[in-house]
Amino acid sequence: MSHTSAKEPDYHHREHQTCYLFNPERNDTPSTRPTKKRRTGSTKAKPSTAPKSTERCLFQPLLNGDEPEQAVRLRWMTYHRLWEAQELRTTAILESFNEKTLDDISTFVAAAEPAKYSGKLPTGLVLAGPNIASHGPLFRQFQKRLNEVDGAGPVVILTSKEASNLKGTLKKLIRDATEQSGDLDEDDEEVIVGRKGAKLLNYDLQILANWCAIHQGKKVIVAVQDTEAFDSGILADLVSLFGAYQDRIPFVLLLGIATSLEIFHEKLPKAVIRLMEGEKFDVERAEEYLAQVFNDAVLGKDCLLRLGPTLCNFLVDRQHDHTQSIQTFVAGLKYMYMTHFYANPLSIVLASVGENGLPLRQVLSDIHYKAVRQLPSFKQTIESCIAEERTKIVREMLNNDSALAREMEKASQRCLLYGVEVSRALGVFDIARSCSSSGSRITRSELYSRVLAGELTTQSPLVRELLMLVKRSNSESATKLLKTLLQSNYLLDSTYEDVLEELLDEIQDLSTEAGGKKKKNLTSEFDVVDNALRTTAVSRRIQISEHKSGLSTKDSEYSKIIQKVHDVFEQMFSRAFRPTKDLFLNEIFFYDYLSPHQEVFSPKQRSAVEDGLARPSEYLNCECCYLDDDEKENVLKSTNPVTSIAYQLYLESGVLINAFDLYQAFHTILEGGEEESDEEEGGGGQIDEKTAQALYYRTVAELRYMGFVKPTRKRVDHLQKFAWKGL
Amino acid sequence: MLPQEFLSSISLRYPCRTTQLQLLSALIGSDSFPSPQAFIIHGLESTGKTAVTHALLEESGHNFTWISCNECITPRQLTERIAATITTELAPEETNFPRCETVNALTVYLQQLLGDDGKKHFLVLDRIDQQRDAPPTLMASLRRMGEMIPKLTVIFIVSVPHPRLLHSVELPHVHFPPYTKEESIEILSLNPLPIDRIRNSDRDEESDDESEDEDDAEETAKLELAIWKKFCATVWDSLGKGAARSLTQFRDAVEKNWAPFVEPIAKGDYGLKQFSSLLVLNKDMFRRENTIIDTVIPASTTERPFTVKSHDLPHYSKYLVCAAYLASYNQSRHDALVFAKGREGKKKRRGGRAGGRVGKKRKIARRLLGPTGFPIERLLAIFYSIVPHDIPPAVDILSQIATLTSMRILIKASALDPLDGSAKWKVNVAWEYARGIARSIKFDIEDYLIE
Repeated sequence: MSHTSAKEPDYHHREHQTCYLFNPERNDTPSTRPTKKRRTGSTKAKPSTAPKSTERCLFQPLLNGDEPEQAVRLRWMTYHRLWEAQELRTTAILESFNEKTLDDISTFVAAAEPAKYSGKLPTGLVLAGPNIASHGPLFRQFQKRLNEVDGAGPVVILTSKEASNLKGTLKKLIRDATEQSGDLDEDDEEVIVGRKGAKLLNYDLQILANWCAIHQGKKVIVAVQDTEAFDSGILADLVSLFGAYQDRIPFVLLLGIATSLEIFHEKLPKAVIRLMEGEKFDVERAEEYLAQVFNDAVLGKDCLLRLGPTLCNFLVDRQHDHTQSIQTFVAGLKYMYMTHFYANPLSIVLASVGENGLPLRQVLSDIHYKAVRQLPSFKQTIESCIAEERTKIVREMLNNDSALAREMEKASQRCLLYGVEVSRALGVFDIARSCSSSGSRITRSELYSRVLAGELTTQSPLVRELLMLVKRSNSESATKLLKTLLQSNYLLDSTYEDVLEELLDEIQDLSTEAGGKKKKNLTSEFDVVDNALRTTAVSRRIQISEHKSGLSTKDSEYSKIIQKVHDVFEQMFSRAFRPTKDLFLNEIFFYDYLSPHQEVFSPKQRSAVEDGLARPSEYLNCECCYLDDDEKENVLKSTNPVTSIAYQLYLESGVLINAFDLYQAFHTILEGGEEESDEEEGGGGQIDEKTAQALYYRTVAELRYMGFVKPTRKRVDHLQKFAWKGL
Repeated sequence: MLPQEFLSSISLRYPCRTTQLQLLSALIGSDSFPSPQAFIIHGLESTGKTAVTHALLEESGHNFTWISCNECITPRQLTERIAATITTELAPEETNFPRCETVNALTVYLQQLLGDDGKKHFLVLDRIDQQRDAPPTLMASLRRMGEMIPKLTVIFIVSVPHPRLLHSVELPHVHFPPYTKEESIEILSLNPLPIDRIRNSDRDEESDDESEDEDDAEETAKLELAIWKKFCATVWDSLGKGAARSLTQFRDAVEKNWAPFVEPIAKGDYGLKQFSSLLVLNKDMFRRENTIIDTVIPASTTERPFTVKSHDLPHYSKYLVCAAYLASYNQSRHDALVFAKGREGKKKRRGGRAGGRVGKKRKIARRLLGPTGFPIERLLAIFYSIVPHDIPPAVDILSQIATLTSMRILIKASALDPLDGSAKWKVNVAWEYARGIARSIKFDIEDYLIE
């Protein structure tokens, strides 16, 4: 922790001072300002101005500060270029995803007439899922669509935070609704708010009713973003008020529900529910969002930097286990780009690939070649070359920079191709699986990380099972499979396409030949195993004998073809399903460092505090707290910080702690250590009662400040324990 | 007393309210008779209070002002609205509006406005008992207005009169009792729903061409009405009597069930006289209750097979919900028993208890008593003990607790700062929901609950 100041550029000593004189220094401010995260957002709208906003490079020179400034800049620029492209695609996906829900809601609002719902409030229940972070953008999309595109009328979004009481909520509702439609002239305002003498109160819905009388045909759409968090009393009051004004103000309600319809119905009184009638709308689930974004950002053919297996697992698992929020996943991706370009000097290699990439030799400097030679993947490549006895190339790579650059160019092409091949092979895998409809579906993201980690090869049961299924399929399903595959452009390259097309033709010819006019279904001879699933012995026997005798010559011909199809599949999988670690330069193209993400996205705040108090030596690194190897655990020393001593005593006690007992123990420990040192140093101050008490008061105050103890009313002289270690 | 023909014309529109009409017309009277300073009309939901009173006042030709009090949020809004409405009705050209912020100011203003006018004026305060933030003196002071302004009569319409509502008892009350079975059916029979004949369009047009006689049409209408009446009676006996007694609810129930009930007739499979066989055919309809349960989405549309993909909570949020349920419905003294890894203690204790004092004190099942509060530490402790494998205690868990709180699955049970260690929380979901969640993660929540 002590080295944070050196690491963080925006650290300022004043941050930890309670008060100081503020003296703005003009020259100082630009360099201490933190990175503006929104910058990238503004640039994406107008890419022409992109260089402007990214002009000032905020990255530090790496490689002990020896990195040329030009390279630092290049990393900075490449980061912006790549991430902006990725972000554009991601936002496009996210925006297009709710299209259907938006369409449904806009037709619902357009058709919502009170007469249609027998005088009840037209209500749309939007099942938006438990991902609260996505509700805000979703409702803003509603607002944009309904108000600006459809022109259905003002859309007022109410959130629970702004609605602490009925009056305030109504004020906001009226203000938002009447102001949204643009400026009012004074005459209108008089009509709406009332004549001078009898001005209407600003929470009187009559204002809105007057407004509606002027703006005929407009509906007032009230969207409650977080219905669950809304105070149910206020919500019930609001709905019943809307019901009372329904004849004058054409309200349409949109209620966002995070949990379920049942819970929503339990929340409101029946009399209020009776006032509403409508439809429900489903928003796509978080898993589908994830699949789409993942397909684009990790499996997509355009991305250069991809997730490594460990990090991929971490992000996907976290998504499933903890957040269910696509926004955090996207943040994780962004952080991957950020740390990669911030901390890895070799990330500039990525600047050399792609359409308008710079030539690699121009990008790299001597120091980079040195760094490349330190890479684990470099060592591995060298070793494997030696094993293959290609010594010439080894010597060149070790000694000659330009030869190394040549190899690196080749390697980066290989890495890119590998990424594309993996994603395509996974596509093939998915299609084959969906055609054969085998039981459990493992998501593509999981398969991806398994492939990269080298856990999924052609030898693993999952792939073998699938290949068996392909082999066993009859002519009809094989035709279907091949047709979808040929349409999908997931095939690794065009040669496979040609081969499979040929095979498809053969199968089709064969089946038409066999069946004459009516296409006959040809069975594969490998299909026998499937029938072993028959339950009774007799029927199985009948099946098997039937199968064998039923195999015609066409069938055996077909079996040969399907064997070829199987071989093609196997070839594809064995080509693509290789672990990343065999590739030279995989560190640059596959980001796989777990700890930065873990520290940023799921820090362990509690164990940090507990460890700091229980083992101060780990943080302070000073002599007095240092523990020998043989006394690692829980040794109380008088030289430890006093709060840590009190904390360890606190851990040993029960729910109620007698303050005097705690003090006694505390004092003993302080003294106990002191005696030892006395003997060594020969003299020195025995800790006196008053100092001990003062220290004790301070530690207890600190423990209380950190939320560990509180005075209790049960017993006056006791402290209540609130936190247990390890939770 | 108003002329009899008025009453009978209103009575035609609003049947079964003859007594109330007569009472009201006596109270409202004509201009030559004085009316009471105030009176109360009371009756439960949808018993015709508002409609009958409004019709009567309109027919009688008196000046009256109608205020729906449930539209007003504060008493100030109410008084200002009364002033504004009366002014626009009596003196539309008036431009000098006073601010009637209190009942006192309103009284003074109305005294000016109504004082020398010879005609009676009625001020109807509809649903005054639903007025929000009403001070206890509001109704009493509004009633006093009638005393201070001789020409003014204040009519209160409330659902249930409190004995001390107006701090005086001598006011006339008009009670609108709920409609009985016969009355409800009679009212519903005024406009029965038609049987939507599919046969006209579905079958060949021969039947149309065979020009039905007028007698026939009349006959059919009579038969249809008879079926409607019988159907209403059946719905009342099976569903309405217990659950939908008010007229609107009863009508809803009847209307929702009508179309599926007469579908065989509409298709032409059954004749108009086969009511009892229709009843047998549709007997299931009267057992199901989904037409009388109030939902936002109409019951008929939710009936179709439930194919909607449900939104899932994150994996560990489900465990958190289970842990919170257990923390709320188990007593903390049982925690060691239930969650400690070594389970020997459990049997011993249970055996000991079963032997000695059984049935000494009958306990209510804890599940019925509602959730109890727990500190967050207990929730976390239970959570880590029920999660099947070790997970790092990262900030993710706490953020999920925050999310669950904003979804009101967990709620804070004490007013303290949530960071305070002694702040209490409780679970806000029912047993069925918690069990459903526990099953979706294959966690046997029953094993951990002490009954």
